[in-house]
Amino acid sequence: MSSFKEFKIKWGMAIDLDKCTGCGACMVACQAENNIAPQPDASNKLKSLNWLVVYELTNGKPFPEHEVAYLPRPCMQCGKPSCVSVCPVIATDKNEEGGIVSQVYPRCIGCRYCMASCPYHARYFNWFDPTWPEGMDKTLTPDVSVRPRGVVEKCSFCHHRFMQAKDKARVEGRDPNALNDGDYVTSCTEACPNGAIVFGDVNNPAHKVHDLVKGKYAFRLLERLGTDPQVYYISRREWVRRLGDNYLENEKVKG
Amino acid sequence: MALDRRGFLKFIGGATAGILATPVVWKSLDDVSIWTQNWSWIPRNIDGANSYVPTVSKLCPSGVGVRVRLVDGRPVRVLTNNDHPLGGGLSSIAAAEVQLLYSPSRMKRPLKRTADGAYVGITWEEAETMLVEGLKKAKGGDKLAVITGDETGTINELFTALAAEMGSKSCFLMPGEAQPAAKAWELMGGEGQVGYDIEKSDYVLAIGANVLETWGPVIRNRRAFKAGRPHGETPSVRFAYAGPVQNNTAAGADVWLPIRPGAETVLALGLANLLIKAGASSPAADFADFKALAAKFTPEQVAAQTGVDAKRLAAVAQELAKAKRPLVIAGSEFGQGGGAAPVLAGLALNALLGSMNREGGIRALPYARKVVPAAMDRKALLQNDLVGWLGKVASGKAAAPQAIVFYEANPVYALPQTDAMKATLAKVPFKVAFTSFLDETAMACDLVLPVPMGLERFDDVDTPYGSGQVVYALAVPALAPLVDARPAGDVVIGIAKKLGADLGVAAFADALKAKAEARGASFTEPSATNAHVSSAVLPVNGIALRADVLSKAIDVKAPAFPVALAPVAKLNVGTSKTATPPFNTKTVRRWEIQGADLYVMMNGATAAKLGLQKHDRIELSNPAGKFTARVNLFEGVINDTVAVPAGHGHTAFDEFSKGKGENVMRLLAAGAEPGTGLSVWNSAGVNIAKA
Repeated sequence: MSSFKEFKIKWGMAIDLDKCTGCGACMVACQAENNIAPQPDASNKLKSLNWLVVYELTNGKPFPEHEVAYLPRPCMQCGKPSCVSVCPVIATDKNEEGGIVSQVYPRCIGCRYCMASCPYHARYFNWFDPTWPEGMDKTLTPDVSVRPRGVVEKCSFCHHRFMQAKDKARVEGRDPNALNDGDYVTSCTEACPNGAIVFGDVNNPAHKVHDLVKGKYAFRLLERLGTDPQVYYISRREWVRRLGDNYLENEKVKG
Repeated sequence: MALDRRGFLKFIGGATAGILATPVVWKSLDDVSIWTQNWSWIPRNIDGANSYVPTVSKLCPSGVGVRVRLVDGRPVRVLTNNDHPLGGGLSSIAAAEVQLLYSPSRMKRPLKRTADGAYVGITWEEAETMLVEGLKKAKGGDKLAVITGDETGTINELFTALAAEMGSKSCFLMPGEAQPAAKAWELMGGEGQVGYDIEKSDYVLAIGANVLETWGPVIRNRRAFKAGRPHGETPSVRFAYAGPVQNNTAAGADVWLPIRPGAETVLALGLANLLIKAGASSPAADFADFKALAAKFTPEQVAAQTGVDAKRLAAVAQELAKAKRPLVIAGSEFGQGGGAAPVLAGLALNALLGSMNREGGIRALPYARKVVPAAMDRKALLQNDLVGWLGKVASGKAAAPQAIVFYEANPVYALPQTDAMKATLAKVPFKVAFTSFLDETAMACDLVLPVPMGLERFDDVDTPYGSGQVVYALAVPALAPLVDARPAGDVVIGIAKKLGADLGVAAFADALKAKAEARGASFTEPSATNAHVSSAVLPVNGIALRADVLSKAIDVKAPAFPVALAPVAKLNVGTSKTATPPFNTKTVRRWEIQGADLYVMMNGATAAKLGLQKHDRIELSNPAGKFTARVNLFEGVINDTVAVPAGHGHTAFDEFSKGKGENVMRLLAAGAEPGTGLSVWNSAGVNIAKA
């Protein structure tokens, strides 16, 4: 695998799965913020396109020992992203301070190698041009371009909000590379009424997320693949953490 | 002439040379290359200056406080408003509210139904004339009925005042949690509106009440949940949930007590028994009666009736007793039809725990005085039982009205025994709907009048049921109406004038101003919330536990069906007034809706007992109605129970919700709760057969 850059700033999330109740507000807020078109029939989950998906987890036990949990899955913004190394046209790259994996739509040729290589199913292909019901395209935000058919798209950690936060800091005479905790948060983080998502710079001790990702119960999805995701999950429940990776039956789970 | 080999080759050669000499090939190739690159138009985003309007969502039942982001006056997002007393995040409906402004089902102009059943657009003048003519025939003696779907707005005062001027008291709210609670609180001798101070509680037990998804001002409940649960740490507030399905509230709670549908009262009495045995008491005059009643509900008895495990029950009772500021919230697991008894028993538990009138407990909140003289106040409106009244109209015990006005209500879809209710409403000769969407009820009306959506109008949210404090939130328009809609309040004032009645307010805005004043709020200064909070509470004295009412209410024989029915309510599929918003179809779970099929949930043991497997097509039937669905196995459902997602099966609206799944309300039969007389429909059963 080719080597990847290390960054001083690393935007990341700590999602507490014990706080998520699966309401779906984050998914709706994500679509509205990032100009993702609605789908009249989204029952085929292989054909529905949403940067953030809330999965249902079960402990697999029969009633009454059954437990349920919900897992919101954005792009993991991997430190060693498998999508970047397979892209033949450098449409996706990890090259900017902050460590967000980019997706350059005008460069994408739609080969979908990245989708095949992403172990988190975080990437989506536009099989068709996006359409909105008549007039609803007036509600598009000016921040995120609309993607045509034939390109791959994915969660960008609301990158436009990062740029806006940096601009704001510059205008106010602050260092854009030293944003305060909360200056830049994603749309899903902001929308979650349960506060299940904490967003910030994982490398900055002044940010709450810095300590959270080092917590006893923090884990990442498929951590042992070596993708080094910047999205961390937290759960006090052992069975939830066990589902985060392919553990052997008697293997001890992290945390 | 025979074609020999040489001749054939000559022909092919000549033809090839001929074709290549024409421009056809080159032009076609050129066209193909252009066509394959000729991308169809897709919308472009337009830049502009940002502005933000703080308001409150009238669309979401949680009454969530929000900020609307506009770009050059175009609304683009509904954003979180953390300063708002009812804010702190978004619900999945509120998050899609801006986009709903452009819903394909949105009413664009007044419509009237013609003789052949088709709807034609008319002008507002024609519509108002038609409305006045229709209402004239309904003067005197309860000939006009009003059904409103707004639980918290001052608009109800205008509609009820109009009805009063017409000589009618038949004004009803759509069923919800507030009505049974008002009944229970009144029976106990409580004053004002019962409030729940979740923010300051350290142990919340929700019995039935879906406090983290649909019950009360949900976003404010969930903000309290968030505050009490720092990331990855042991929560400082524990949540327990008792209900038949491991729903969203159970997913967030520390403890799930599975109980059979409709068993909330018995569970509460079982807990009361354990608490009393452990030394809990109450100064209530009828405590001895209550103690005697609760004593009947031994853990074994409760286990037999509710299906709850005796050990789990004892553990929750112990946790409640140990907590410093415990709070019990009881209600219906799908937000309606639960009756007063569960709330009464839940409030009695609070009394035993010393939670009456204290921080983190139960509060009595004053009602605002009414501002339209002839109106029915909220307390009186809450006493009218819509389902009970329609039942009487159906059976001929009450006369059918001559005219009926629906305000942002969709009873044709949302009432229990939907088919029968629809037939009853059809008896009314003149029906008018004030609505933003062409919903099922509008499709059954003679006249449909568009109202501006919540983001396009002045409106208010006054202390929603469940709030722990008096909150008065003003909805302010973020934009002018996109369609030819008029604010319902002003239309009503104008109509009243034409009917010769003076409602005492010149414009709806005046009514709102007066209401804000009545709540001690003033919105003269620019505000980040447009909301006002007051710490006013009423004394809670002489509360009775009403063992007499409870003993009657629990003495019901559940109908003998092989499988109990548990509707599951979630906000992501919208409300009966909005159906599933376009942006929310992706939030519907895979095995909830597939194409047009509804999936219902049951646990593996129940499925095995019925001989069913995942994806099997089944028919659910009872005397109220029947429909087919498919089986999803979900172990978070109590035995012998089928959990049915609510909010599907619309027959109106648009491609985002019409014809998808089935409407569970069709299977719910309403009965009367013994002891209180309230209509209840939370303990239904069904027969299940392979279809």
